[in-house]
Amino acid sequence: MTVVHAPLLLAAVPALSAAAGWALWNQPRALKAWLQFAALTSLVTVVWASGRLPADAAPLPLLAVLPVAAFASLLAQPIHRSNRGAWMLTMLLLGLGLGVLAFNTTLSLIVSALLLAVLGLVLVQFRRHVGLEAWWGAGTAGFGTLAFLVAAAAPPPVSSLAFTLACAVILPLMPFHMSYVAALTGLPGNLPAFLAVLLPVAGFHGILTVLPQLPQALTGTVEVLALAGMVYGSMKALAQTRPASVVAYGSSTFVSILWWYLATTRTAPPHTIVFLSAVGLASAGLLLSWYMLRSRHGEFGLGALGGLARPMPRFGAALSLLALAALGLPPFGPFAGFVGMLLAPSFTWSGGLIVVMAAWLCASWYLFDLVQGLLFGRTAVAHRHQDLRGHELASLAIVLVLLCALGVMPTRLFDPGVADAQRTFVLESSRWTN
Amino acid sequence: MNVTTVLAILIPLLPLVAAGIVLTGEPETREQRARLAVLPLVSSFVCAVTLLPLVATQGAVGIRFYDPGSVANLALPMGFHVDRLSAVMMVLISAVGTIIYRYSVNYMLQDPGYRRFLALIGFTTFVLLCMVSSANLVMLFVFWQLLSYLLALLAHNLTHAATFEGSFRTFTLLRLGDVAFLAGIVLAHSLYGTIEFHELFARAAESPVLFSLVPGIEMNGATGVTLLLFIGAMSKSAQFPLHIWLPHSLYAPTPVHALLHAGIINAGGFLMNRFAPLFGLSPAILHVAFVIGTVTAILGASMMLTQNDIKKTLGFSTIGQMGYMIMECGLGAFALAVFHLIAHGLFKATVFLDCGNVIHKARREPVFPPTSRAEEQAEFSRLTWSTGFVTTLLIPLLILLVAHGVLRIPLLDSQGTVIFLFFIWVTSSQAILTLTRLRAVASWKVSAAMLVTLLFVVFTYLFAAERFTAFLYPNPDEVEAYFRAAALPGHLFDGLVAMMTVLIVLGWSYVYAQTRGHRLRMPSWVETLHLRLYVLFMNRLYLDAVYAKMGRAATRLAGRLDRGAPGRLL
Repeated sequence: MTVVHAPLLLAAVPALSAAAGWALWNQPRALKAWLQFAALTSLVTVVWASGRLPADAAPLPLLAVLPVAAFASLLAQPIHRSNRGAWMLTMLLLGLGLGVLAFNTTLSLIVSALLLAVLGLVLVQFRRHVGLEAWWGAGTAGFGTLAFLVAAAAPPPVSSLAFTLACAVILPLMPFHMSYVAALTGLPGNLPAFLAVLLPVAGFHGILTVLPQLPQALTGTVEVLALAGMVYGSMKALAQTRPASVVAYGSSTFVSILWWYLATTRTAPPHTIVFLSAVGLASAGLLLSWYMLRSRHGEFGLGALGGLARPMPRFGAALSLLALAALGLPPFGPFAGFVGMLLAPSFTWSGGLIVVMAAWLCASWYLFDLVQGLLFGRTAVAHRHQDLRGHELASLAIVLVLLCALGVMPTRLFDPGVADAQRTFVLESSRWTN
Repeated sequence: MNVTTVLAILIPLLPLVAAGIVLTGEPETREQRARLAVLPLVSSFVCAVTLLPLVATQGAVGIRFYDPGSVANLALPMGFHVDRLSAVMMVLISAVGTIIYRYSVNYMLQDPGYRRFLALIGFTTFVLLCMVSSANLVMLFVFWQLLSYLLALLAHNLTHAATFEGSFRTFTLLRLGDVAFLAGIVLAHSLYGTIEFHELFARAAESPVLFSLVPGIEMNGATGVTLLLFIGAMSKSAQFPLHIWLPHSLYAPTPVHALLHAGIINAGGFLMNRFAPLFGLSPAILHVAFVIGTVTAILGASMMLTQNDIKKTLGFSTIGQMGYMIMECGLGAFALAVFHLIAHGLFKATVFLDCGNVIHKARREPVFPPTSRAEEQAEFSRLTWSTGFVTTLLIPLLILLVAHGVLRIPLLDSQGTVIFLFFIWVTSSQAILTLTRLRAVASWKVSAAMLVTLLFVVFTYLFAAERFTAFLYPNPDEVEAYFRAAALPGHLFDGLVAMMTVLIVLGWSYVYAQTRGHRLRMPSWVETLHLRLYVLFMNRLYLDAVYAKMGRAATRLAGRLDRGAPGRLL
């Protein structure tokens, strides 16, 4: 098996599994079990292929987090015919995501374009669920697809600019964040939770490739957009009445922090991987929890349900821990990643940090409000509460264990080939020339 | 692994074991397990008491589960550093934690959240102990943050609407301090390249650096770091204007108050002591601390006087005391602040635990306290009044003259002695005036009590506090350096002394007039001002409304962006 075949295998396993899943379309239980098995097989394949990938492929932790997220999100799903489409799409998107991370740069660009095209089509398909934002989301995804294709075809510096714009769609940066927000707030089943991990991871891989090519003036623009994105995301999250929207805007704020960091320092220490993966997983966990409530009580706004900690103790414990992680409290990954990034040798104090800290503080406001509102206060007696079932609890437990592991594991595990503890990826080397 | 190392690890871990014992097992055995869990807590206290003399004689204990040279490679650099300050704090926290836990075992018995509550007390004790024995800035911050969340969980009954809001407010305001603290750590690391306490202090002392907090404004590195750390300390120690979370936590069970007022709220004082060498390099921030502490002390005490329930009165009393503690730090008397927080912690824990019983008793008895004892009629006593006047004004003056003239102590050069004398004077005057107000009868016993009070205060400050300072900071040059850094301009200090003299004279005049049955003639504007101030303080300066308005403005702005619901107000 060569470096050419290994990425192909990574992308093919989930995609072919999805294709094979058509045979089980009329048996939801078997279909779900099959797709879960396929997700685990993908994980095994990722581990196996880790040493056999091209030099510009993503590191193992980023590759591995995708099948794990797919598995956990599938596990949380109740067996119902209406969820089948979301399950199949999850596997297809997993295949595309692994392709983005594992293929060489040119192929990766094409697969990225395909990924955004599929996302755009899915948003159009589910426009009734998503609402008006579906069109904005689909439009942004279309723009991103086009930008990826231009990046693949045009000479520098147009290609670099196009690549950055495409990355801003997939790793949400205001004002190109709409497809991300629409996907997280409106798509059915486990898709929002899975996309909360997939899109940032794929975008991060892209930005690592293109950032060294960007002129200083453009990184300055990125820095300003990231700061504006933090303010905008925080304000939007404060004003939302649906939990999914709070999580979507909240996570876009955290991603803006990452954009700002990358643009300011032009380095990506291993802590950025911890931060990105942890933010994605925490958002996925919160979206899964929200889906579990929605599957019991239907669509509702903040304030309609409350006091769930008593009738649903398992749910209460899991959501509290997820919120702790999302708020940036120890010992979870977002905290370790954030602090690690700021204490990396390459980081120096700048005025923008004040905005970053304000965004971090705001997260405490809207996320604590969200969780406190759901778990505490007066219990709504009109609702019949049912605590988490075994598979639901297991899926949230997987997310929590991963978040905790990201928070306490030595960071060298995210950068295994390097002995020097202080090493960072210096983004000045020319890793991508189109 | 030697004895001190084992003890340093065991002390924080044992309360965690206690929490584990309470949480695991069948509901039927919860009471037995709750009683069993007292053992690890007592053991933790015994270990702390054993460790204190060992640390004093053998030096600080350092345990690191990481390589300080490669911090960037570790997610959470964990370790313990137990010096004299940590050891003293560990004794206090383990003692208070044990007493409060033991009290709660009976007090909370019929509460539905019995297990959760007791486990949280054990866990909070664990977090506090880890915090005071942290080996570096990041570990200190980890536990500092956890404390914020635990406080929001512990201090509020989350099914009660008012406390529900209070919990939200507490967490948000404490997070403000957390974020400032984190910014301070980032700045310190960015400027000095380390998160280790001693290295940080050494590098800051060696090479003063300038940095730009916001473009165009340059600032000394130590000043910037200490400013951010001080904001962190302000939030946890309920300093004006970040104090409003404390009065909103008063619906919590009584043992929580005891833990909060005796342990958690002291975190600010501890933080300032831990970073004393850095604060010593930034006189500007020490002056800021002095001003904030003084304002908090005055406002806390004033608001306390206008409250009409026992818990709120005690709550505002704590705010005032915390202001006093921060004021001491601002004057460079760091060890005195620790001495104060220990004394206040033990006193407040006792008062709060007792207050729970008083409230219970008052609910059962129609008239409580009983009115059987005939009230003593206040009457003017020349002996009592003269003794009070002499002990609060003339004796301090005499001590000053003797020290300066006869003993030839160079008071003007000895900032520390002046500060100690100043606090002796303030404390004894306040105690004696209170004593007179409570029992203004003609009796030689009252006069004797006044003299004993003065002697006690003098002994406490000049012997106990002085000894304690020498224990915590064995190097006298270091102590003197802090006092020098915090030295106030001469005219300001003279102004303070003059203000104190005027206040004491006014106090005695008021006592004199009251007991002689005279009515002081006040201009009408004074009466109006008095009423207005009373209403203002009773409503806690309307700060809650101001914060609510700010929160409303922020959510309205956010709502305009989204045209959504108004969201939650701060």
